[in-house]
Amino acid sequence: MNIKHKIDDLRMGRLSRRDFNKSLSALGISMVMTPMLGKSASADAADQATYFTWGGYDVPEMFGSYIEQHGETPNFATFGGSEEALTKIRAGYVVDVAHPCNQAIPRWVATGLFQTVDTSKLSNWEDVVPELYNLEGNMADGSPYMVPFDWGQTSITYRTDLVDLEGQEESWGLLWDEQHKGRMGMIASAGDSWWCAAIYAGVDFTTMASDESFKKVAEALRQQRPLIRTYTDDMTTLEQALASGELVAAMTWNSSPVVLKGEGVPVKFANPKEGALTWVCGAMIHKDAPHIDRAHDVIDAMLSVDTGKWLIGENGYGHSNAKSFAQFTDDELTALGLSSTPSDILSAGKFQIPQTQEFETAMNQEFENIKAGF
Amino acid sequence: MGLSDSTAIAGTVPESRRSLAARLRVIFMRSESLRGYALLSPTLIVMLLGMCLPFALMVAMSFWTQRGFDIDISFSLTNYGSAISSPIYEALLMRSLAISGTCAIVTVLLSYPMAYYVAFHVHRRKMLWIILMTLPFWTSYLLRIFAWKIVLGWNGVINSGLKSLGIIDQPLEFLLYSPTAVVITLVHAWAAFAILPIYVSLEKIDRSLLEAAADLGDGPVQRFLRVTLPLSLPGVIAAMLLIFVPTVGDYVTPALVGGPDGIMIANMIQAQFGKVNNWPMGATLAIVMMIVLTIIAVVYIWLTRKLAEWIS
Amino acid sequence: MSDVGYIRRHNRPLYFFALFYLAFLYIPVLFLPLFSFNDAIYVAFPIKGFTTAWYEQMLTNEPMHAALVNSLKVGAASSAIATMLGIFGAKAVTKYRIKGEKPVVSVIMLPLVIPGIILGVALLILLSRIGVTLSLYTVTLGHILICVPFSMATLMARFEGFDKSMEEASADLGDNVWWTFWRVTLPLVAPGVIASLLLCFTISFDEFIMAFFLAGTEPTLPIFIYGQLRFPQKLPSVLALGACILVVSFVVVFVSQWLQRRDDPAAQGLGN
Repeated sequence: MNIKHKIDDLRMGRLSRRDFNKSLSALGISMVMTPMLGKSASADAADQATYFTWGGYDVPEMFGSYIEQHGETPNFATFGGSEEALTKIRAGYVVDVAHPCNQAIPRWVATGLFQTVDTSKLSNWEDVVPELYNLEGNMADGSPYMVPFDWGQTSITYRTDLVDLEGQEESWGLLWDEQHKGRMGMIASAGDSWWCAAIYAGVDFTTMASDESFKKVAEALRQQRPLIRTYTDDMTTLEQALASGELVAAMTWNSSPVVLKGEGVPVKFANPKEGALTWVCGAMIHKDAPHIDRAHDVIDAMLSVDTGKWLIGENGYGHSNAKSFAQFTDDELTALGLSSTPSDILSAGKFQIPQTQEFETAMNQEFENIKAGF
Repeated sequence: MGLSDSTAIAGTVPESRRSLAARLRVIFMRSESLRGYALLSPTLIVMLLGMCLPFALMVAMSFWTQRGFDIDISFSLTNYGSAISSPIYEALLMRSLAISGTCAIVTVLLSYPMAYYVAFHVHRRKMLWIILMTLPFWTSYLLRIFAWKIVLGWNGVINSGLKSLGIIDQPLEFLLYSPTAVVITLVHAWAAFAILPIYVSLEKIDRSLLEAAADLGDGPVQRFLRVTLPLSLPGVIAAMLLIFVPTVGDYVTPALVGGPDGIMIANMIQAQFGKVNNWPMGATLAIVMMIVLTIIAVVYIWLTRKLAEWIS
Repeated sequence: MSDVGYIRRHNRPLYFFALFYLAFLYIPVLFLPLFSFNDAIYVAFPIKGFTTAWYEQMLTNEPMHAALVNSLKVGAASSAIATMLGIFGAKAVTKYRIKGEKPVVSVIMLPLVIPGIILGVALLILLSRIGVTLSLYTVTLGHILICVPFSMATLMARFEGFDKSMEEASADLGDNVWWTFWRVTLPLVAPGVIASLLLCFTISFDEFIMAFFLAGTEPTLPIFIYGQLRFPQKLPSVLALGACILVVSFVVVFVSQWLQRRDDPAAQGLGN
C-alpha cells in the first residue's frame, strides 16, 4: 500500500483534493450560516398572536378585521390532525388560539391549559348561533371555552355511478354493505367513526358510556372491518380514492363532496335516514396566551360575516355567524347541504355528547385494536 | 501519530521541537483513549445532551400510569404487564419485524449490484451516478406516496397495464392498502440508504487486491467471494441495519398505504401519544420495541461476523 | 487480461440491471411532473386535460415558498453539522482504541431505535421546560440528532481499515493535526463525506414527525404539505413544486458536472 495508490483512488472518485477542500469549506460555511439569514424579518411578527390550526385556515381571507387593526395576519402554526395538535400543546407548546372540535372540548378543557373567552371583547358575539356554543362542557359561568367557528356534518360520500341504491333510502348501512367489500373507506379517528357506528347500530347517544352500548358499537365496527379498504385521517386520501373509483363510498365531512363535484366527479353526500353526525369546531385560548387581547381579535375576525362568506362559499362548511347565511341564496345553500336558517339543520342533527377521559381512552384503544384486526 | 506502528521517519523528529508543551502533548498522545475521547467529545456531548435526557424521560415514563388526563408517577409495571400479555402488541410487533426485515433484505439485494456497478464499472462521473440515485428523494415523501398510489392503485398503472394485456380480469387488490404496498414503498424510499453505505465500502477496496487475486488465477466468481464480498460486508451490514431499524418505527407509510392489514407497531405507539392518550403505555411499547430491536441487531452482527470469518 | 484490468471489463447484465434500477427509482417519481400539468385537483387517473394553472398558483403561493426555504435552511445546516460530528465520531472510533467504546457508540446510535414521535415529544417537553422557544433552530437540533447515526455509520465504513501511512507521512513532514486532517484525511474520505451529506440532507428535507413537534410558526415543507391534506385544493401546486425541485436539482447536478469537467481537464482521463 503506498501513497500513489491512495491518490489514484482519489482520482477515481474524480475529485481533486484542492477542489474538494475548497468547495467543502465554502459549502460548510454557507450551510452553517444559512439558518441565521432571514430571521430578522420576523421582528414585527413576534407581536402578532399565534393561531394553531389546520392547514387551509392559515389564509388572510379569514382575518380581514384583524389585518385592518394590526397591519398583518396572525402568525400561523399548522397541523394535519387535532389530536397531534393537543399532544404538542400538552408537551408544552404555547400558542394564543387553537382550533379543536366539539367532541374534544371536555378533554381539551380537562388539560387545564385553556381559559374561557371574554365574549364582551367580541363584536360579533351577538350574531353567533346559540346552538353551536351551548354544548355540554363548553360553558363556564356564561363564558365559552370554545367559540364556535365552522360546523358541518359527517356522513357518506358515494359515487352515484358506481353505487346503486335500488330505490332504497340512503342509510349508514351502505358502509356495511357486503356488495361493496373492499371498495369503502372510513375515517381512522374514533371521534367520527365510533359515533357514526353508534348511529348505525341504533345506540342512543345518551347511553354511549354504558357497557352494552360500548359492546354494540365495537361489534358493528368489527363486523365492518373486513369490508374496509382503508382507514385514514386525511380527507385527501378518501377524496382521491373516490375520484379514481378505487372507493365507491367513504365516510367524509361535507367539504369533500363539494370539492369532488367541482372536479366533475359524480358523487352525492348522503342524508342517511338514521341521521348524520353533526360537528362544530372553534377557537380556544391558551391559559398562558402571550397576546391575550390580540387572541380575542383573532377570534372576532373569524366570526365576521366576510369570513363566513369565504368559509361557506369556498369550503362548503357552515359558519357560526347567522348573518353569514344571508349572503347566499337559498338555492346556493341547499346545493351545499346548508340552509338559510342553520338552526333547522342543527336541531335535526346528532351532536356528540362529551364523555369522560376514561371513556375516550377506552373507545380509542378499542377502535385501534379493531382497525388492527383484533 | 500512530505511535504503536510508527514508521522509520517518525523517530527523526528534531530535538528542538520537544518543548514543555510538546512533552505534555506527548503524554496526551500516548493515551489512546484520551485522544480518542478528545476527538469524539463534540459528537458525544451533543448526543448525550440531545438523546440521553429524552431517553431517560421515556424510560421513566414507561413505569408511570395514565389516570384520565393525569399521569401517576409512582413506579408500576402495569404497562409492561399489558404489553407482554396482550396478543395484539405481539402480533403488531411481529408484523412490523417481518415487513421491515423483508424490506431491508430486498433493498440490499437490489442495491448491492447497483452500488457494485457504480463502484467498479463506472469510471467517469461516479459522483453523478451517486447523486442521480438520491435525486428522486428530494421530492417530498408524501408526493412519492401519491405517485405509488397511482402506480399500485385499483385502477392504477400496473392493474390497467395487466388488464389491457389480458393477463388479469379483476384488478389485483393486494397491490395497494396492504403489507405488500408498505414493503414496495419502503424499498423505494430507503434505496439511497442502502446504496450509499455499500458504495462507500466497495469504493475503498484496494484495486490491487483484486488484481493480485486475478494474478493468482482466481476467476471472477472466486474473486468476488474471496475479496470483494468480505471487504464490502461492513457496508452491507450497515445498510441492512440502517434500513431495518428505522423502518420498524415508521408509522406514516403504513398509515397511508398499509390499509387495515398493514398497520405496524409504530402506529400503535403513535396512537398512544395521540388519540388514545396514554403516553406511559406508548413509552412502554417503544421500550419493548427497542429491546427487541437491540437483541436482533446484536444477534445479527454476531452472525454476520461468523459468516465473514467463514468466508475468509 | 490484467492489462485491461478486472474492474474495467464491460458487464452487460450489470449494466441492464443498473438501468432497471434507475427506472424503479424514477418511474413513480416521474408521475409527479405528469400530474402537475393535469387539470384536476386529485392525483388520480383518469387524466383530465392540460393546464399550467398549478404552476401559476405555485409562483404565488408564498407560504409554500417560505416553507421550502425553511426546509432548505434546516437541511443544509443539519446535514453540515451532523456530517461534521459524524467525521469526528467515526475518526475517533476507528482510529483509536477507546475504553468503553461500545457503550459510547451505542449512545450515538440510539436515535436509530427511538421512534420519531417519542423523540419529538420528549425533546419538546424538555425544551419547553428549559424555556426554549420553538423555531427552525429546534428543528435543526432534532434533525442533527437523527442524522448523526446515519452519518457516522456511513463514515465508519469508509474509515475502517483506513491506511494510516498517509496521515503519518503528513505528520512527519511537520504538519499539525488539523492541517493533516484538512489536507490528507478529509480528501481521502471524500466519497464518505459526500455520501453522508447527501444522506443527511435527504433525511432532513423529508422529515415530518420530529419537525412537527419541534417547529414553531415557521413550517418546513413536509409540515406544510401534510397541512394541506384537509383541503386538497392547493396540493397540485405542491406537485408543481415537486416537479420543479426535480428539474432544478437535475440542472444543478448536470451543470456542476459539466463545469467540473471543463475546469479540470486533468481529472477527466485519469481514471487509473
